[in-house]
Amino acid sequence: MKELKEVIKIVLQEKKDVWLSVLFGFLAGISAVGLFASSGYLISRAALLPPLYALTVLIAFLKLFGFIRALGRYAERYYSHRATFTMLSKIRVTFYERLEPYATKVLHKYRSGDLLSRIVGDVESLQNFFLRVFYPPIVMIVIFLSTIAFTTIFSVSVALILVIGLILTGFLIPLWFSYRQRKVKRMIRESRGSLSTEAAEFFYGFRDLKIYQQVEQKQSVLEEASDTYVREQEGEGKQLVYNHSVNTMITLMVSWLVLAAGAFLVSTGQLNGLFLAMLVMISLTVFENATPMAVLPGHLEENKQASKRLFSITEEKEIESRERVQIHQAPGITLENVSYTYPGEERSALKGIDLQIPKGSKTAIIGSSGSGKSTLFQLLLQALRADEGEVWFDDIAGSLTEPESIWEQSRVVLQKNHFFYGSIRDNLKIAKEEASDEMLNTILQKVGLDAFALEGEVLEKGENLSGGEKQRLAIARAMLKNGSLWMLDEPTSSLDAVTEKGIYDEIFNLAQKDTLVLISHRLTGLEKMDQIVVVDEGKIVESGTFEQLMEKQGYFYEMKQIEQSVFST
Amino acid sequence: MKHLSKIAFEEKKKIWILVLTSVFIALTIVGQAYFFVAVVDRIFLQGGSFESVLPLLAGLLLVLMGRSLFTWLNGHTGVKLASHAKQHFRKRLIRKYAENPVLSSLKGQSGRKVSVLMDAVDEVDGYYSRYIPQMIQTAIIPIIILVVVFTQHIYSGLIMIVTAPFIPFFMAIVGVMTKKKSEEQMEQLSAFSGKFLDTLQGLLTLKLFGRSKRQKDDIESSSIGFRDATMEVLKVAFISSLMLEFISMLSIGIIALEIAIRLVVYESIGFFPAFFILILAPEFYLTLKEFGSAFHTGRGSSGAANQLMEELEGDANKVEWGEALIENKEAPPQINLDKVRFSYGNKFAIKSITASIPPYSQAAIIGRSGAGKSTLLHLIAGIIKPGEGKIEVQGRNLFSYHEKEWFDQIGYISQDPYIFSGTIADNIAIGATVTYTDEEIERAAEKAGLASLIDTFEEGIHTFVGEGGRGLSGGEKQRLAIARVFLKNPSVILFDEPTTGLDLKTEQVLQDSLEKLSESATIITVAHRLHTIKKADRIFLIDKGELIASGTHEELLKQAQEYRDMVNVQQGGNSA
Repeated sequence: MKELKEVIKIVLQEKKDVWLSVLFGFLAGISAVGLFASSGYLISRAALLPPLYALTVLIAFLKLFGFIRALGRYAERYYSHRATFTMLSKIRVTFYERLEPYATKVLHKYRSGDLLSRIVGDVESLQNFFLRVFYPPIVMIVIFLSTIAFTTIFSVSVALILVIGLILTGFLIPLWFSYRQRKVKRMIRESRGSLSTEAAEFFYGFRDLKIYQQVEQKQSVLEEASDTYVREQEGEGKQLVYNHSVNTMITLMVSWLVLAAGAFLVSTGQLNGLFLAMLVMISLTVFENATPMAVLPGHLEENKQASKRLFSITEEKEIESRERVQIHQAPGITLENVSYTYPGEERSALKGIDLQIPKGSKTAIIGSSGSGKSTLFQLLLQALRADEGEVWFDDIAGSLTEPESIWEQSRVVLQKNHFFYGSIRDNLKIAKEEASDEMLNTILQKVGLDAFALEGEVLEKGENLSGGEKQRLAIARAMLKNGSLWMLDEPTSSLDAVTEKGIYDEIFNLAQKDTLVLISHRLTGLEKMDQIVVVDEGKIVESGTFEQLMEKQGYFYEMKQIEQSVFST
Repeated sequence: MKHLSKIAFEEKKKIWILVLTSVFIALTIVGQAYFFVAVVDRIFLQGGSFESVLPLLAGLLLVLMGRSLFTWLNGHTGVKLASHAKQHFRKRLIRKYAENPVLSSLKGQSGRKVSVLMDAVDEVDGYYSRYIPQMIQTAIIPIIILVVVFTQHIYSGLIMIVTAPFIPFFMAIVGVMTKKKSEEQMEQLSAFSGKFLDTLQGLLTLKLFGRSKRQKDDIESSSIGFRDATMEVLKVAFISSLMLEFISMLSIGIIALEIAIRLVVYESIGFFPAFFILILAPEFYLTLKEFGSAFHTGRGSSGAANQLMEELEGDANKVEWGEALIENKEAPPQINLDKVRFSYGNKFAIKSITASIPPYSQAAIIGRSGAGKSTLLHLIAGIIKPGEGKIEVQGRNLFSYHEKEWFDQIGYISQDPYIFSGTIADNIAIGATVTYTDEEIERAAEKAGLASLIDTFEEGIHTFVGEGGRGLSGGEKQRLAIARVFLKNPSVILFDEPTTGLDLKTEQVLQDSLEKLSESATIITVAHRLHTIKKADRIFLIDKGELIASGTHEELLKQAQEYRDMVNVQQGGNSA
């Protein structure tokens, strides 16, 4: 239960709704027992031809129980769901508060969107914790205890049979089943994983498969993976059906025992026959309350895993303490023998990089895809930490500094910029809260987005914007922000040459006194940079001004030649 | 939905099992009530001895076991039915996609197709495992109970007949009334629920702008908004089940009242039938209510079902091959395009192109982006089939050859070659009909400039490269594709030249390799580089799907204004 400590703490904050859920759950369950008990009693009583008024009272009871049951069930559902969703909201906030300080580190580990979705899915899955794990056993135990206590008035043996039934269907059998199920679940996950991998290869690699005549072979692998997955699912489905049937059978057997024992007791005169029907009806009804126990272990296991995953993300403490400092205006940056290898990869992305970016200078870093230039950018931005070596911001060592200190001074455009669901205005104001509409419109004009209305809707991840629009919006955001260190990672790759030039003019105009680092795979417009750094295979191959590099006729020169020979179609 | 049930009812044996087990479940429900009442009647009213009820108890035990058994068999069959259906759908989808390459590989919808194959198929499970068995049960069990009740006491039966329709009727009314409201709520819900993911995905951006601390309140308020909107939807669902509960309770109550009054006041009914009916009545309404929840599951599958049908019924553009063999495989074949047309849907991608590509020639296809260059390359490769006109290889229709004959002849280097999960050697030797030795593979890798890369790996060519070539740069993937061609040694090479983003080494390797390969093969390139174009002995200039000029560089410079414009723009770019 250690894994769930945090979650339980949050659940207990919702005291009122928790109590109300338990109370109404109890009322609904116990009145169902009452309803069937009184109907069993009613019919027996009626058979003995009692006065009519006695029957009337009984029927009134019957109706009352019926209404309490229905209304109780309604209220229980209402309050338990409300408690659950309030709890989810608190979990989200708590989790976010914990995650926020480690953002870059965690996000790097969870680079792909899938994993973020899994975090969200884990939080969602915790909604079952209160609904299916936390309060149902409480309700069940209270109902059983009251029912058993009531039964002892009539027969201790019948009460004992109910106790045995409770232990079997409420505890032992669910535990046994959940033990069996764990393995099945794992097999399903694995077979699903391999099916989805095969499917991705089939579709994304289809053309190559076709040319190399591998379609049929891959198709049969895919069909086989599908069959395995379906078989595993079928196994789980069959097991669930089996579990359900066994559980039903046990409860029916318990009722049968109650009937047999009751019949024996009546025949020997130890029990009034009037109550026999009632006791059997009680037994048939009370076990309905044990049904939720069948799914409890499964949910508990799932919740434990989810909670463990969620809170372990944020448990890792930073080993060395990092300070929040004020970095200088337009800092110079120095890389000293910096290396970096992505976790789980054999080859290093960067090896022994030494680089000087003087104060207030304009530097371009160029290279092909996979050369290491983007890794270099992430290191300069302190979004990645070098495995070896040090990144200096003037006299401040990056490894001892909170990255926030750098970001405070930076205007960043990433390769993939995130836009939030909301309006254009919301997305721009992230950079400057106090910006007036006039100011925002001016900025939009500068990046050639004057056609955009500030109220314009932005969908999740900006999916209603084109690549070029997103880039220009991200540049607008950087222009709005304060800071004297520009960090631009291929900011204009989706723009045409004319728009690109216009935007660069605006940026350079704004950044006259600032330090600027630009990553680019295009080689145009680099003439006015103070320094061009060429990266290939994780190393700096050469650096210098445009003229120097062209004169040298080295790597950059060759790349420039090739670029010029490419038709701009 | 209709398609879904058709597949279920094709499985006649399973449907029969479902029907039979439902009948048996109904009979055991009746039997359970009968024995139970009989025991109470014998002991309580007739004062019978315990021994006298032993046969009845034994009978009850048997019936209870039977009920569990048939419930199990019914559920079991439902699960098997669902498996069968899922397998059926996946197989059909995979076959459809494999036969219909235009739809599956060229429109860039691979992600969506993976999700249809995985999730949409999984979503139809509930329809078969729950909805169909429950539908059959609901059609059988209440009727059998009703018949039994009629034999016991006609008035109770009448009350059941009158009240039963209220349950489906009411369900339908609630459904209609809440549909619009819940659709509205759903929109709100998805907006709220996306907020958390949106914030997490944008966390780096927020941090860079120093805004992350303030997002906490946003998350909280959107979570509470989500809760309130969800509760609105749930309240409707809870109230409708409350009403159903009331209806069934009221009906049971009326039956109980009627029986009690007859029992006590008129004494026109005995204890036995009265108790019997009282136990059967709740079972009757329970089956009806359960149908309600199964119905929701069934409806939940309908979205997925529509998606599946859309995929399966999309137009088939199957490529069919003949049986002919290619003669003289030593030399590259003569390739002719004769009034070739091709369209995606209603949009023409290629309009009547006629061209001739002699053996050992180096052809370059050029044109603006979207002109139809890649489509033309796919047509020549035989991945897609012309709508009209034909492609001739050695004087015969390309598609009269055996598929293997042709694909054995060609190599294809795309802009972004796909690397399969496996070792480097597996990837180079992909599709090989003969087994190659490590040396042969290494030689191909070396020719493609991969030797130094492979040297950095401990396991050499047996190093595992992950799904999609994880860990390889764009240039390395290109070189790997070239190694594939070197190993295969085809007589026709189709090459989609990369536009940008390659390292110098790969650029060099590409040039040298193609030079080498051109000695033994025809090379058809979608060209972007001036030197490639200049070198070509036949340039095809394409615009909007039409061939507007062809010839060598010099010829085109003289003849074609469009070509001159393109080259001039290029030269202009040089001086800028």
